[in-house]
Amino acid sequence: MIEFRNVKKHYPNGTVALDGVDLRVEDGEFVFIVGRSGAGKTTMMKLLLREEKASSGEIIVGDYNLTKLRNYKVPYYRRELGVVFQDFRLFKDKTVYENVAFAMQVVGTPTKLIKRRVPAILNTVNLPDKGKNFPSELSGGEQQRVALARALANNPKIIIADEPTGNIDPKMSIEIMNLLMKINKLGKTVIVVTHEKALVDYYKQRVVMLRDGKIIEDRVGGMFK
Amino acid sequence: MKKRYRLSYFIVQAVKSLWRNGVMSFASIAVLMSCLVVMGGFALLVKNINVNLENLNMMNQIVAFCHPDATEEEIVAVGDEIAALDGVESVVRITKAEGLEKMKEQAGEYQDLYSDINDENNPLSDSFEITYKSEEDVTSLQYSLSHMEGVRKVNARVDLAKSILKFKNSIQWIFIWFLVILFVVTIFIIINTIKLALHSRRHEISVMRYVGATGWFITLPFIFEGIIIGLVASAIAYFVEIFAYSYISKSLVSGLEMIKLIPFSEINVPVLLQFLAVGVITGVVGSCISIWKYLKS
Repeated sequence: MIEFRNVKKHYPNGTVALDGVDLRVEDGEFVFIVGRSGAGKTTMMKLLLREEKASSGEIIVGDYNLTKLRNYKVPYYRRELGVVFQDFRLFKDKTVYENVAFAMQVVGTPTKLIKRRVPAILNTVNLPDKGKNFPSELSGGEQQRVALARALANNPKIIIADEPTGNIDPKMSIEIMNLLMKINKLGKTVIVVTHEKALVDYYKQRVVMLRDGKIIEDRVGGMFK
Repeated sequence: MKKRYRLSYFIVQAVKSLWRNGVMSFASIAVLMSCLVVMGGFALLVKNINVNLENLNMMNQIVAFCHPDATEEEIVAVGDEIAALDGVESVVRITKAEGLEKMKEQAGEYQDLYSDINDENNPLSDSFEITYKSEEDVTSLQYSLSHMEGVRKVNARVDLAKSILKFKNSIQWIFIWFLVILFVVTIFIIINTIKLALHSRRHEISVMRYVGATGWFITLPFIFEGIIIGLVASAIAYFVEIFAYSYISKSLVSGLEMIKLIPFSEINVPVLLQFLAVGVITGVVGSCISIWKYLKS
């Protein structure tokens, strides 16, 4: 469960990025967070990833209260999340297998388990034969699938995707979205931050719309207006 | 599930990073190595000055020589009389046989020169090594000793000892300041080397953070980088020091026979350990400052 309780975020230059946001996302939900540039989507992501702290209010994610979370506990909190970025953020000098394995190495997963789990995840994202390829040998859509596989590597409960289709063509975008839907059906909570109207309207999931740091609409099966 | 981290992972990452930033890594190692060589050279110089001063009986000591034909009773009487003087801390009798042994020891590899001298034809006389309480007593002690019956000669090279000590203390300060500056420069270069390494891996570090790597997991490779810089610099400095010391030893032995240098084999272990300790600590301090600044930003 993710809960924002009257969350406000102001920056020292006076910008109010979030202004009293209340939001509750249940386990296993699929949510689009939409809005124009400057609406507060990125700030919401940063708060969820605990890159920044809220100025006031409370953010609860599972057993963690992010407003009270100590810095040294942040890495353990982040292991509960899988993050996908618009620019993939893959290591060019590592193979697909190594990119996915890396996420498991950094949290101290035993090598045996890594060897067993990585092929299974690559299978989930429909890249069973690409383990030995380097990212430069893959299309944009495939690279995003590798990023998705890496996000899934530590079996997180929540997947956060920041503009996951921003750098890929429409056909591939559908593929990525279908994968996110598939992951959601496996029981994971999926939050997709996007400004792509067509995709949001097509999938008819819960849509949370932000404007000027406030939620102006929150509707299941909603549309991007 | 039990979490396991492999030490080899951190070391491999550190080596890769050093290789990637080759020029800066080389600069760090070279400067740290130079510091260690200078530090080691200075420490050895001070140690050798101390040993030579002791050998020459110059450290708050006066030596009184008895007449060569003095009887045992007369010598004992002189010893008692010296011990009773004001300002005397201690008196040690050196028999002429012991004096000969000492001379042979100081001659080192030239001991053969004394092979014809034995107890019967030993030209030396018994002497007393007198340690005084304070420098203020030296003049009056010298006067009393030189006028004492049974005493042939008094050696008190206080002025020479003082000038050597003064020289030692002044170079000590110059070297300390020189070393402080060198170490500051070294730490600065190491900070920049690690900063470059952090910059070149910033993308990797950001991904590590998002997948839940702890601060230790992120920073350990950089600390190992500092350790490796320290270890390599110490090892090279050690070999440079051996070479320089043996070169200087040979020159001094052939030129100035009165100066005796401690053989390097007697001090190699402490020198190596000190180099390793200073090298590694400097490397780690440099890394930690850089990481701390990076994580803070």
